[in-house]
Amino acid sequence: MTRAKKAAAAARPAGSVALARPSTFQQYKTLLRKDLEQEFRTKEMLTSMGIYALLVLVVYGAALAQTTSTLDVLQMSGGLLWALVVFTSLLGLNRSFSHEKEQGCLEGILLVPLDRSVIFLAKATSNLLFLLVVEVIAVPLFYFFFLTTTTPGESFWLLVVPLFVGTVGVAGIGTLLSTITINTRGKDVMLAVLFIPLIFPLLWACVSATTAVVVGGEGYMDVFFPSLLLAGGYDVIMILLSWVLYDFVISA
Amino acid sequence: MNPVLVEIYSTILPAAPYVIGAYALIFLALFVYVFMVVRGLKKTEKQMAVLEEAIEEQRRD
Amino acid sequence: MAEKTKKALKLPEAGGWPDAAAPWMLLGGAVLATIGFVLTFTLAPLVLGASVDGVELIGGQMVANKLLLSQKIFYFHMPVAITSFVALAFTAYYGIRFLMTKEKRFDTCGKIATEIALLFILCTMFSGELWERFEWGVWWTWEPRLTTYFILMLVVIAYFILRNAIDDPERRATYASVFGIIAFVDAPICFMITRLVPSGVHPVIFRTDSGLSPDMLVPLLLSMFGFFLIAFGLYRLRFRQTRLAERVEAVKEQLED
Repeated sequence: MTRAKKAAAAARPAGSVALARPSTFQQYKTLLRKDLEQEFRTKEMLTSMGIYALLVLVVYGAALAQTTSTLDVLQMSGGLLWALVVFTSLLGLNRSFSHEKEQGCLEGILLVPLDRSVIFLAKATSNLLFLLVVEVIAVPLFYFFFLTTTTPGESFWLLVVPLFVGTVGVAGIGTLLSTITINTRGKDVMLAVLFIPLIFPLLWACVSATTAVVVGGEGYMDVFFPSLLLAGGYDVIMILLSWVLYDFVISA
Repeated sequence: MNPVLVEIYSTILPAAPYVIGAYALIFLALFVYVFMVVRGLKKTEKQMAVLEEAIEEQRRD
Repeated sequence: MAEKTKKALKLPEAGGWPDAAAPWMLLGGAVLATIGFVLTFTLAPLVLGASVDGVELIGGQMVANKLLLSQKIFYFHMPVAITSFVALAFTAYYGIRFLMTKEKRFDTCGKIATEIALLFILCTMFSGELWERFEWGVWWTWEPRLTTYFILMLVVIAYFILRNAIDDPERRATYASVFGIIAFVDAPICFMITRLVPSGVHPVIFRTDSGLSPDMLVPLLLSMFGFFLIAFGLYRLRFRQTRLAERVEAVKEQLED
């Protein structure tokens, strides 16, 4: 029953009608698959986020054009990379709920008798996946454009760890905030206003961890681990809070 | 005066305006807030009086 | 006539003894804070700064360092900052109460608590800014606690922007409560950041072996208590005003019917 409704809500042909009440995990899978299928069909989010990331890189090119090689790009690269991630995710998060709203999909999902926090988990996972895909494209491009002239540290590859931890947090808080802002006036600006200050501690920790591994050098682990711990702790607290509070937000 | 003493007390006089200024600023901000709230209170009380009169009139009619 | 429209709500607070006491609390808080301020200069000793060449006997003590007056700011900068954290804690508390009961009054309380928090955050910023200008000679620097506190300020401002951007009162109350709870997470971060990222400028005060002598503790606690009283008085004052405005709105609606 729930599956049929959900399928109808996602505007795709209804499959077999399941009579048994689906488990929470099944509900989660269905909701996640709905988002992914929609994305595969339109490729709207990935293309817009990907192009946007590329454009931010182009802007970086202009911004750093006058610095020549005397400037230590390595020191700045962590920060630049994270600025890229934050702005791109802002774009993606803004869109992630708008098509649900436009096509009345959200109402459909809310009609289904399921635990509301499952919606949060599914939405956060799909946001996380999209962000990760974009990062997989954007980070090598970043390397290609800005870091080939320099010699990053040996530990360069460790940068995926803070990148992943940070993106998890961004997707978690971002999902809650984008659900809030979808119903406000001037929602695009609103998300930025709420999102950037709240994400700041995470951003700060991730930039410090990323910079530590990119630059490398002696004792980089002394910076890397505490920063990562800070980011991880913030992730856990924020995602738990968002998870608990999501029910109220989506029901309002 | 003793040069060592001058050195010891060297930052006190320049710092005084900043310290007192900071304290004054805090209280200024608090006063501005109180002022705004009290003004709002006066305004709403006036509105309330007008409304009470209106209700009274309605009742008499 | 006004009494007729007064709603007979079960739990939430309306006027009463705290409202009668509020102006006196404001006054008492101001007096306490002022006494604390005076004691700051008369009772608390000056803190030693950079060492100088030579030693001098001042008041029966050998002094070989510069005496710092600018440190005096600590005696009111820190209480004001603590008060802002307490106010934010109340925002989160009322947010939780609202989400549990869906009683609009709690949202009003939360909003006012956030307003008080913003007021005290601004005060902290002002006083810190002046100290920083004197001591570091710069208007702004990205020192860890300064940064996190600045972010806290932005979050609180965002709270009000969010409130303004929603028309439906029910939804506004829910979203504001949720955001208030999330925003409160930043306060402990602000508080803890000097332990996590030592910067040497903001000392760690709350610990068992804090280096504060009783002479320093007395003015500090006096002004802290004073600022708490001021915050509470302001809160009650604003609460009374908001309640009155809400009642005016209710009467207006009744009249229009």
